[in-house]
Amino acid sequence: MGASTRDDDATVDLALIARWKAGDQRAATEIVQRHAQPLARFAASHGARDGVDELVQDTFVRAFNSIEHFRADASLRTWLFTILKRLMLDRQRAERRQRNQVELDEGHAVQEFNALDGLVADEMLGRVHAAVERLSPLQKEVFTLRVTEGMAYADIARVVESTEGACRVHYHNAMRAIKEFLSND
Amino acid sequence: MTECPDGLMRDQLPEYVHGTLSADAAARVDRHLEGCASCRHEVVVLKSVRAVAALRTPAVDVSAIVAALPAPPARVLVLEPRSRRFTVRHWQYAAAAVLVLAVGTTTMWRAAPVADPMRVADSATVVAPLPLAADTPVAVALPAAVRDGMSLGGGLSDLSVADLQALLIQMDSVKILPSRDPASMTPVIEVKEGGKSE
Repeated sequence: MGASTRDDDATVDLALIARWKAGDQRAATEIVQRHAQPLARFAASHGARDGVDELVQDTFVRAFNSIEHFRADASLRTWLFTILKRLMLDRQRAERRQRNQVELDEGHAVQEFNALDGLVADEMLGRVHAAVERLSPLQKEVFTLRVTEGMAYADIARVVESTEGACRVHYHNAMRAIKEFLSND
Repeated sequence: MTECPDGLMRDQLPEYVHGTLSADAAARVDRHLEGCASCRHEVVVLKSVRAVAALRTPAVDVSAIVAALPAPPARVLVLEPRSRRFTVRHWQYAAAAVLVLAVGTTTMWRAAPVADPMRVADSATVVAPLPLAADTPVAVALPAAVRDGMSLGGGLSDLSVADLQALLIQMDSVKILPSRDPASMTPVIEVKEGGKSE
């Protein structure tokens, strides 16, 4: 099962953390190499197309600054996703406040959508992307973590601050909604 | 298309697509997919979602992230000098404790005879601690009987009844004569040789 692979990954991460604490800077490089791309994928799939690098970097800086608080009852990746999620929420709140002050530029969203259409040239991929974008924010988070990162429901529940059972329901509802969208489209 | 009734199998599909299932579990999913169109459709959706996510994800500059990280705590390097300081401090404490014990013991040992002058009277002649002038010590010659038959190494409580009686008789024979020079008022104590009586 996938659980053994996750356990192996967790063991490797714990060993790397121990090496870094002992003064081995190369261990930090290995940790970043293992987790940076999944974090970037999660950030990008939740609308953070601008400044993904910055978000991922901030996640690692915050994680390494508080590595003493990392408890091994969750995997390092889950913990990193939790930090990233909070950073994204902070950024969304800040953007919302800014939006209240500055008049919304209506043309901006249209330009972004068109650019994305060009990027996702394949028709099937374009339709799948459109279907995922129609999910509720929570459904989308659960679905993305489950599908693109292969995370267990227990770990997803930690990231989205929900229960394992609720996450399972969100995933299956999301899958049903996507399949319906694709069959009706 | 009807949904697959095998919920456990559907739950494993994300891990199957992610490649984190064991070989046995992956083989079971493969066999299931051969006969389940709904799950095959789900696998296509899952792979498409992963492909879209990969397309939309910018490459991350790992070296830039690592450069922004804090330095490792380097505990190994810090612990060693700390443990040395710790040892030196304890040696200092130990040396101070030994010094205090040595000085204290010596002082108590030296003070003991002053507290009980009888305990050092093992010689035939002692300097009596009378309340006289400091420069006028009084010589007391112990009688032969006392020198030969009595030990003054202990306190009065160490003496037998017979010894105490002999001591009282000898004390009766002590005569204090006035000085020839009244100004000096130096008393002279004489003890008669073996004198039981005056």
